[in-house]
Amino acid sequence: MNDTDKVIIIPCSGIGKTYGTVSREAAYEVIEELRPLNTQLVPLSKLVLGDEAARTAVTGKQVITIDGCSLSCATKMVEESDGRVNCQFAVLDAYRRHRQMKPRGISELNEGGLQLAHALAVEVAAAIDELQEEENA
Amino acid sequence: MSEHLTFTQDKFTFQVARDRHYNTAGVWAKAEGERVLVGVSDFFQQSKGDVAFAEVSEVGTAVAAGEVFANIETIKLDIDLPSPLNGKIVAVNEALELEAELINHDPYGAGWLAEFASSDWPAVRDKLMTPQQYFEHMKNEARAQGDQ
Repeated sequence: MNDTDKVIIIPCSGIGKTYGTVSREAAYEVIEELRPLNTQLVPLSKLVLGDEAARTAVTGKQVITIDGCSLSCATKMVEESDGRVNCQFAVLDAYRRHRQMKPRGISELNEGGLQLAHALAVEVAAAIDELQEEENA
Repeated sequence: MSEHLTFTQDKFTFQVARDRHYNTAGVWAKAEGERVLVGVSDFFQQSKGDVAFAEVSEVGTAVAAGEVFANIETIKLDIDLPSPLNGKIVAVNEALELEAELINHDPYGAGWLAEFASSDWPAVRDKLMTPQQYFEHMKNEARAQGDQ
């Protein structure tokens, strides 16, 4: 797949936050395992810093954000970078859907956190498929 | 006069509603007719983080002031809430089951937790903090957290 057709994934950049870690673990699973050929990760920190390559990556492409909390930093930064978010996920919403997967830990997630990251990754992968079906329709 | 006392620290602004009383945990109580409505303060919800789940003891449960009547799970913490009054729970906010975030969005309104019937509310109220007292208490807590 051409790089220009890849779906951009932007997780939360919250370091030292459990939900931020869940967000990033989900993003890594999507990009490295579930949909490695049709996704590209853009670190939120690069958008915050105004990195030109990061801004270019989110402009005119399909973008999925995975926010850690209601501050929705990933979504807001894409919009402030002149990008458009096609699909927004939030770890808190995912946890509300999967209450048995209680996330704890920061640098190393507990079992619940890993399960939640996986469940979220599967939802994100499904969203990628839908976006690309729409694009190809 | 404004409905709230307001304190700003860094990027955060905390409001204390003037029409209710508070315990030290940040749980407020407000008489409405013969019932007393209970919830958490704006400072509580902002400092504890986004609420994932809120569970209140069942209707009919008798609770003494200081006893746990609810548990709130946020993205940071699990918190047992001590009741600000003696009484029996006569209603719980069922909207929180599907929208626990109401506690964050509207802590003094739609985010209320429970309604109590209390026979000694006036006496218990006098043991709680007034809005001005809670405002000072909250400012001290906010500053202490800011120093951490």
